Amino acid sequence: MSEPYLRPLPAKSPGTEPFWEAAAEHRLVIPKCNNCGDWNWIPYPGCRTCLSEDQVWTPASGYGTLMTWSIVSRGPPGFPSPYVTALVELDERPRSIVMLGNIVDTPHEDLKVGMRMQVVFEDIADEDISIWRFKAA
Amino acid sequence: MAFPSRKAAVVGVYLTEQGRGLPRTAWSLELEAIKGALDDAGLRPDQVDGLIPMAYVTPLNLHMAWTEQLGGKPITYLDVGSGAGAVAKAAAAIDAGLCKVCVIYFGNANNGNGPGAQKRHDKAPRVDDWDYMVHGAYMSVWYAMWTRAYMHQFNVRQEDLAEYSVIARYHATLNPASIMGKRGEITVDDVMNSRPIADPLHLLECPLDNDGGYAIVVAAEDIARDCKKKPIWVLGGAEATYTDSYRTITSPWISNEGAAVRRVGEMAFENSGITHDEIDVAGLYDCFPVTVARDLEELGFCKLGEGADYIKAGHLRLGGKMPSNTDGGLLSHSHNGNPSGMHTIEVVKQLRGECGERQVPDAKIGLTLAQGWAVHGLAGVAIMAAD
Ligand SMILES: [Zn+2]
Repeated sequence: MSEPYLRPLPAKSPGTEPFWEAAAEHRLVIPKCNNCGDWNWIPYPGCRTCLSEDQVWTPASGYGTLMTWSIVSRGPPGFPSPYVTALVELDERPRSIVMLGNIVDTPHEDLKVGMRMQVVFEDIADEDISIWRFKAA
Repeated sequence: MAFPSRKAAVVGVYLTEQGRGLPRTAWSLELEAIKGALDDAGLRPDQVDGLIPMAYVTPLNLHMAWTEQLGGKPITYLDVGSGAGAVAKAAAAIDAGLCKVCVIYFGNANNGNGPGAQKRHDKAPRVDDWDYMVHGAYMSVWYAMWTRAYMHQFNVRQEDLAEYSVIARYHATLNPASIMGKRGEITVDDVMNSRPIADPLHLLECPLDNDGGYAIVVAAEDIARDCKKKPIWVLGGAEATYTDSYRTITSPWISNEGAAVRRVGEMAFENSGITHDEIDVAGLYDCFPVTVARDLEELGFCKLGEGADYIKAGHLRLGGKMPSNTDGGLLSHSHNGNPSGMHTIEVVKQLRGECGERQVPDAKIGLTLAQGWAVHGLAGVAIMAAD
């Protein structure tokens, strides 16, 4: 039997259902403004570019480049040692989407600034949620 | 309208004991600090009419609870922010007649920022959807990622950044109140061989995570002239945010234009009329070595990517061009949760000439920078001077 998952998990707060429903299907959706066409991450009630509230959860490529990362030896309770936390800049433009997440299934020695990454999803055992991760594309 | 230079002064400062696991409450540390800082100034609690708590979240009912604690007299200036920025705003509020005696204060007990302070759970706790802790990105992890990005972008050696840890520890050995000073000096090798925490960062590149309280009293010119200690005049300053708190990151992360720190630096030099060369002593927010390098760059003390060289040249060390964080800073003196006022307190003591073995000779003009809440996301600067 595997260890229970004890790391913090998102609350799935009202308004974020489309994101988590897509995540359960291993699809990445990001709010895109219907007024000006810009992407917005993290989700905000209004578009950062034009302040319109007319935003639609839109499929994103799920591909991007590795900005930076840390191999963490000293983590909070519940985290494996080590784990890798990273910032990945997705390909979508014009407004840049920088996502925070954990890198999985990628040898640490392969990590390089600017390398191609893809978003994958992990179904959390015994929980009702799937979390995005990154791995080498 | 110009910033009201020399219309208000820091007249009282106080640090409680700083240490791990103090048998205290945050409130009790704050009360001790406020009473201590008022006593340092020779002022009474019933003279306080401005409050700027440095709490992580600052609802108005916190201001109201402290209004009651201090005797129930109307408090006419209520603000939030970071230590150095709060000093500048208090001075502006005093000049505008909104208050006469403003107290900036913080206390922290048994509520650390680091992984050691996080609770164990029997079931995965639920947090905000976009919370960084879902991904284990506590503060050292953020700054580890920033350090890696910085070293990559500017081809900086980690050993050169680590020189900051060495300087901070040296200063701490001259500060009897510091947590790490009694452990003695360290070398770059000691830093690089200390326990890995969040690669590339090692233990001796990470801040302390301890308890403690502090308070700063800013008063109007007429009151300041009659206080116990010599007034440390507020010449200028500013405060800014530019992003959400550790939830959004811009690309590029490090740019020529800079962000909150660059903006407040430009504003503070402009509204104080002081130039970089005139700063005798500084308190630069220093939660990690890379933070100090970026402070120096964004404040304009050196060019983008040259912060590590500035540190390595010894300019921040006692005896250097601009001795900084002479108390040992956040790595070797104290990081008490929200230490954004700590740098200001040390610079005030320097400008008063109260620093004993670590005194900067003839220090007349000082600058402090508070930073945080998103890797240079919230920044405040104060520029101060002795008569
Ligand atoms: Zn828009």
